[in-house]
Amino acid sequence: MDFAIEETAEQKAFRAEVRTFLEKNMPDGMEHHTDPVDQPREQYELRREFGRRLGKKGWLYPNFPKEYGGSDMTADNVMVLSEELAAVGSALPPYYDSGARMGAPTILVWGTEEHKKRFLPMFFRGDIRTWQLLSEPGAGSDLAGIKTTAIRDGDHYVVNGQKMWVGSAHGAEYSWTILVTDPKGERHKNLSWFMIPMNLPGITVQPMDVLATGGEGGAGGGCKNAVFFDNVRVPAENLVGGENNGWKVATTHLEVEHGGTGRLNDRRVIYEFIEFCKESHDGHRIADDPDARAQIAELYIEAEITRLWALRNHWLSHAHKQRTYEGPQYSLRRKLSSLDISERMLRIAGPYALTTDERWAPLKAAIEYFQRDAITSLHPGATTDIQKVIMARRMGTGGREREQAGKLK
Amino acid sequence: MDFSLNETQQLIQDSAKDYVSTSCSRDILLKIDRNPVEIMGKHWKEMSEMGWTGMAIPEAYGGSGNSMTDVAVLFEELGMGPVPGPLFTSAVLSARILLEAGSEAQKKALLPGIAEGKRVFALAMTEARYGWAPENVHMKAKKEGADFVLSGTKLFVEDAEYATDLLVVAGIEGDQGLSLFHVDVKAKGVAIRPLKGFMVGMGEIVLDKVKVSGASVIGGAGQAAAPLDRAMLAAVPVLCAYKVGGCKRVYDMSLAYAGERKQFNTVIGRFPRVQDHLIYAVNALDSARWTTYEALWKLDTGMDAAASVHVAKSVASESYMTATDMAHEVHAGIGVLREYGLTLHTKMSRSLYHTLGSPSLHRKRLESALALTPA
Repeated sequence: MDFAIEETAEQKAFRAEVRTFLEKNMPDGMEHHTDPVDQPREQYELRREFGRRLGKKGWLYPNFPKEYGGSDMTADNVMVLSEELAAVGSALPPYYDSGARMGAPTILVWGTEEHKKRFLPMFFRGDIRTWQLLSEPGAGSDLAGIKTTAIRDGDHYVVNGQKMWVGSAHGAEYSWTILVTDPKGERHKNLSWFMIPMNLPGITVQPMDVLATGGEGGAGGGCKNAVFFDNVRVPAENLVGGENNGWKVATTHLEVEHGGTGRLNDRRVIYEFIEFCKESHDGHRIADDPDARAQIAELYIEAEITRLWALRNHWLSHAHKQRTYEGPQYSLRRKLSSLDISERMLRIAGPYALTTDERWAPLKAAIEYFQRDAITSLHPGATTDIQKVIMARRMGTGGREREQAGKLK
Repeated sequence: MDFSLNETQQLIQDSAKDYVSTSCSRDILLKIDRNPVEIMGKHWKEMSEMGWTGMAIPEAYGGSGNSMTDVAVLFEELGMGPVPGPLFTSAVLSARILLEAGSEAQKKALLPGIAEGKRVFALAMTEARYGWAPENVHMKAKKEGADFVLSGTKLFVEDAEYATDLLVVAGIEGDQGLSLFHVDVKAKGVAIRPLKGFMVGMGEIVLDKVKVSGASVIGGAGQAAAPLDRAMLAAVPVLCAYKVGGCKRVYDMSLAYAGERKQFNTVIGRFPRVQDHLIYAVNALDSARWTTYEALWKLDTGMDAAASVHVAKSVASESYMTATDMAHEVHAGIGVLREYGLTLHTKMSRSLYHTLGSPSLHRKRLESALALTPA
């Protein structure tokens, strides 16, 4: 077994190449905002520019096929790249891009060659930013119970309805979504999967004021939105994976969303907090208190198990191994352990964990943000209860055949 | 990055799996449970012949010099039984202590016997004021010329009743530090008594003026603490792998049972409350598995493994207990029927909980490994 990125001579050279690239291509003036809600438009534009530079190199979605603008990069090199990006306060992709992150693997599995050629290069070059639109006011955990319709009319579908808990600040060029294409059809067999340009007439985006934006994607979103569709005409060729086949298509992106591929380097705040406790601040070192030390040890163990499961899932998906319950298992743990860790931080650091005050907040208020984010992250990509439901099916409880994980290429 | 077993490890796994399923059936393990010394008959001979007693010992001393991960793969399968006996205590833990602490002559004299399965070592460290930290050792040897005299009680010693040789950890009167004394169980003044209860293979050793020659001090007198610590760090993850096997087995049993047992005309695995127990069990299993194998990988590649080992032991001890608890929730009545076999694991999970340090001791040690403790 090998838990490390193999630092072969070739990989060391790759790390050096990445560093040089980042030095030359990180746009000047990119600032780190602990809470993405504080990120102004100009900062978002800088991140998009950075995304395009990564995309030009094939590094924005590096593990995807070269022919569509990825790099066919090995799992080990992807990890090197994301480590180096994390080290400079960025992520892969460097902005919230839930639609491409989960939509690209889906199109790769279910799209026609034409779909792949049309959409994937746009994602991978960083030309467009894409949101995923799933939940509705009446359909959260019961995703198959959505009501927004897409009714065929000539060579278009006409979309009407409302999506919730969508996206981020600063808009998106595209969205992908599942919609009801057969209102009288049988449950699970009445849905279709669409790519929708967000500039079509009849689409309205309304920001929602939420506690935090949750743990989706490589970067925080800043806000959530409600998206309204009022007689929006979507070209029929934007339906991916066959009419009324959308539930099956969705299993692929849900697999990514449910943690099937593991998330790497996304909870640095935990390890930074431990270092913070070891340093002296205002003449006080938190780790000098034996109770705090005991809490930190527990917190570290929680974080380590989660990190190892992410690494395992990353390996399983990149080495194309059979996966069953591992995705929802990791997602469940990530949600619950984040909450547990955030509460331990509060016990250890006291009100310091709660302030954003410039004079007093530790780690640029990253702890305060984590307090809110851990609570908000309990629901995106399915609640803990739904994760358990999926896990049980995948474990094959009750003598059922084990449900397999969603298809990934 | 590679989370799979290599070819050698797959061969080890296959032969161990085969051995456990054919030679250590539930009925055989239940019989051994009623009469523990039976494990030292045909089973010990077979395990020795397969080379398992020599896996953790370098070739220069009569073993096969396998990696700790190789050894752990074997122990995971044995944990599936659970197959009891002194294989871990003698061929992994004690062998490792001799390797870390012994002189070249001592290694040459003692390790080949362990590798062949002819010598069976036990570690006599813990005492009435129980605990696995060096400060829990209160026994003091008395110097008599070039010799030493040992008196006192060692308590909850694993596999003492099977041992041919003991490694007794004690201080020396008027001296600092800990020493390791090699004691023949047949020496005058040694009395070993197996302890009964909800425990496996633990014993009491009473030493009454046992004479030990100066040549039988392993390594330097007063110098044992550091090598003992290194040896325990290396051996702990192998014990954790045994617990991983235990978790795996009780999870498999529970999943199978929940797929057959019907109540309210429904197989019980369809009930979300029952599914929760199964989910907690598999989470316990995977927590123990990956913390354990990462620690082993660090040891095998010469990295600083201390923090990972402490995490693994803390997690594996809790996980094995949790997994058996969940198995009992799923099995209800049938689970406590001894002939069903689940209680072999339940007992093992409790018995091994403190062995080589409780989770709370390992968390304390983790605090130091993370440099949290004040300098």
